Amino acid sequence: MNAETNYGRFGSGHSVQRIEDPTLVTGKGVFVDDVSVPGQLYLCFLRSPYPHARIVSIDAAAALAMPGVVSVVTGADLTAAGVKAFPNAAGFKRPGGEPHASPPRLCLADGTARFVGEAVAAIVAKSRDEAYAARDAVMVDYEELPMVVATDAAIEPGAALVWPQATGNVCNETLYGNVAACDAAFAAAAHVVTLDLVNQRLVANPMEPRAVLAVPDAQTGRLTMRMSTQMPSGARATLCDAILGIPQDKVRVVVGDVGGGFGMKTGLYPEDAVVAWCALKLGQPVKWTADRSDEFLATTHGRDLLSKASLALDAQGKVLGFRVSSHANVGAYATPTGVAIQLLIGPWVTTSIYDIPVIDFRLRAVLTNTAPTGAYRGAGRPEAIYIIERLMDAAARRLGIDQADLRRRNMIRPDQMPFKNPMGQTYDTGAFEKMTTQAVELADWKGFDARLAESKARGKLRGRGIASFLEWTSGNAFEERVTVKVAGDGYIEIFTSTQAMGQGIATCYAQLAVDTFGVPIDKVRIIQGDTDRGVGFGSAGSRSLFTAGSAVEVAAKKTVDLATQLAGDALEVAPSDIEYREGSFNIVGTDRSIGLFDLAARQPEQQVFIDSTTKVDGPSWPNGCHICEVEVDPETGEVEVSAYASVNDVGRVVNPMIVIGQLDGGAIQGIGQALCEEVVYDRDSGQLVTGSLSDYALPRVDMVRSFKTRLDQSVPCKTNPLGVKGVGELGTIGATPAVVNAVVDAVWRHGSPEAALAMQMPLTAEKVWQALVAKR
Amino acid sequence: MTRINLNVNGQAVSHEVENRTLLIELLREGLGLTGSHVGCDSSQCGCCTVLVDDQTVKACTMLAVQADGSKVSTIESMGTPGNLHPIQQAFVECHGLQCGYCTPGMIMSTAALLAEHPNPTDAQIEHALEGNLCRCTGYVNIVASVRQAAAEINKTR
Repeated sequence: MNAETNYGRFGSGHSVQRIEDPTLVTGKGVFVDDVSVPGQLYLCFLRSPYPHARIVSIDAAAALAMPGVVSVVTGADLTAAGVKAFPNAAGFKRPGGEPHASPPRLCLADGTARFVGEAVAAIVAKSRDEAYAARDAVMVDYEELPMVVATDAAIEPGAALVWPQATGNVCNETLYGNVAACDAAFAAAAHVVTLDLVNQRLVANPMEPRAVLAVPDAQTGRLTMRMSTQMPSGARATLCDAILGIPQDKVRVVVGDVGGGFGMKTGLYPEDAVVAWCALKLGQPVKWTADRSDEFLATTHGRDLLSKASLALDAQGKVLGFRVSSHANVGAYATPTGVAIQLLIGPWVTTSIYDIPVIDFRLRAVLTNTAPTGAYRGAGRPEAIYIIERLMDAAARRLGIDQADLRRRNMIRPDQMPFKNPMGQTYDTGAFEKMTTQAVELADWKGFDARLAESKARGKLRGRGIASFLEWTSGNAFEERVTVKVAGDGYIEIFTSTQAMGQGIATCYAQLAVDTFGVPIDKVRIIQGDTDRGVGFGSAGSRSLFTAGSAVEVAAKKTVDLATQLAGDALEVAPSDIEYREGSFNIVGTDRSIGLFDLAARQPEQQVFIDSTTKVDGPSWPNGCHICEVEVDPETGEVEVSAYASVNDVGRVVNPMIVIGQLDGGAIQGIGQALCEEVVYDRDSGQLVTGSLSDYALPRVDMVRSFKTRLDQSVPCKTNPLGVKGVGELGTIGATPAVVNAVVDAVWRHGSPEAALAMQMPLTAEKVWQALVAKR
Repeated sequence: MTRINLNVNGQAVSHEVENRTLLIELLREGLGLTGSHVGCDSSQCGCCTVLVDDQTVKACTMLAVQADGSKVSTIESMGTPGNLHPIQQAFVECHGLQCGYCTPGMIMSTAALLAEHPNPTDAQIEHALEGNLCRCTGYVNIVASVRQAAAEINKTR
């Protein structure tokens, strides 16, 4: 339809400028901290300076006597008031079938603090400065306890225990595959390659820190929580059902603009609940805005996996078996999300796009005295793909086979679709070799030797890395409800409970509405982020477009169908004689018509309204091939990304500009993991060394000069009516192994093969230099 | 408390501030100019970048009293949603923003750059933006936005 209408260029398939942008580029966006209400109090958190300590006593008398201080709240206060712990990761088991074991995660530590930065008390005052000043006057008497922050140390016999029931600090375990069959495959193999790999811990670091403004209404007894969250409904459900024990209709969560999420803003945080409780208790609005230190110390961190992984191959490079044993550091409190990412979601893609007949997979989640881990862009899948792609790289080197060719020999073919992988996951579609073939061409694979020589002439080392991969998307939530209102006032309003966080999803929904309604895009308003309007899963796991976008299209078509019936009534003809086109219902073969908005104005409520729920059939499996070339300075070990090319199977594309933006923006986060980002806890003191943006290296403007990014739309997804695939995390997953393999290649060519294969992220100049000087 | 007098976005402003009040606090909380954002506590992110006497300043790093007598320009001094400044227009057209949190700072850094270098080289663009962090875009489109803005502004010069 869109190609025929005047407004088609604003429909799907076009790089429509984002409807979000005019507000954002003029500073008129509304982020939580931009909103203030009269009489609001300010809250800040006192955090544990110790990785593991008994809280002997808290003396708030001096703080309470300071100007402007309203209240000091401790964990004991919350426990006494009946505030409950966060839900645990029940359903998972420890080795031997014992129940999952992890300490209860409280809103404020009560009795024991288990990581540096765990909130111990909340200070509420009339101004932020007064709250911060009073925080310094709260006297906490701690008794230090034995602690452990590093995964390898935590699993040593005799290590300090985070939680006594979690013996050996193992809180749960997952096993997949067939040990005996895998052992047999390895015994029969011509080649075995084994690597020890580290997926270091990261901090998501969206530029907007978390913030909450909780406003109680004395008349209704309700609480309005303005939050920066990807999941307003989920945050409300946890707050009301699990933590406070109040009916959900007592709380409204409102979300304005969200300054980045990347998975880190899924779900409720302990701090959110404390702000809510204080507002209800004091009967006054309470605001808390995290500073960056709060974010480094106490948001959920991402990744953090130690693995030993092996591939068994025959003489021709066909993979016979895959064995991987990992320990995931999930921090001091195993969150349901953090555990599911490591024990379920990552494993689901562990064999990636390869036809691997047998696996032996073991993963143990380990408690340490560090911040809990949770979702961060990719969430389990970057870890899994990194492991298999480093192994493929090493195998190609061992066998002397071209990197792309070795991968091709093992790829699942299109005629094998739908394909059930060894973890029981079914891929609906996939043309993996096609993506690799195109990427090899886009990256000018054959021209590498000339570029290598050119780099060498300038005294630089050069390397090339490839990563072929796929991703599971959906957040395991397939249903989405939307409402569509055609208003007599002349606009179309669409509500969804998915959540904008910078990804441009409102523009994509509006484009889909233009497809069906054929009206100018400025007639379409997209409403999100208000639990009074509707509830749903929210935005996570790259699910928004293929679930809610599908729901928008279905609901829009239902709306036109309903309006056609109503137009029949208005024009006194059978609906079958009416044709809808570009905002107008016309009687076929006549010049009689009625406009869409005129029709709405004539209805009893001056609107045409549809409330519709759509369920898609399963996850989407976007995939691709990313190829990176780096130059390395042999004197310093400094790495420069010289070229980056990718071909991505993203299914049908609604807005190419936005999709490429997601891929490139995702890629730079993956490159950040490869080259510079790392959370460091000091092993001896348990202190967070990388607690600020001065210590934790985020990618800056000079990291990548250009991306060659191609979208392949030839393989539409079969599990949703749009044919789209989730794209939010794809770039992050592909970039990390592509870049690391490129650095490995440069170091390998330099003559340090063992050191090259042993390199661990982040590949800082120092680490690369160390590998270079290990030259034989 | 100290009374300071300054010019903010072309308006004379007289305001009582505490000596410890940061310029960003005066702008956001005192004057309600919430377009400049706070993204860190170590002068690394640049979300709060404004111009003080035409020089880029991270407003979290300057005391309000230090701006006494100065001319301060924030994102609110640029265009409006219905009438974008060419730099803002270029960011929209080049997809130089996603969540938009860092964007006002990026735009103010760009404004200072283009005032000094109407035809900036890529190295000059990188130098001008190295103090501004963006977690969403991958920066490539931001650099493209700056190039396009320069070209557009030069057309009308």
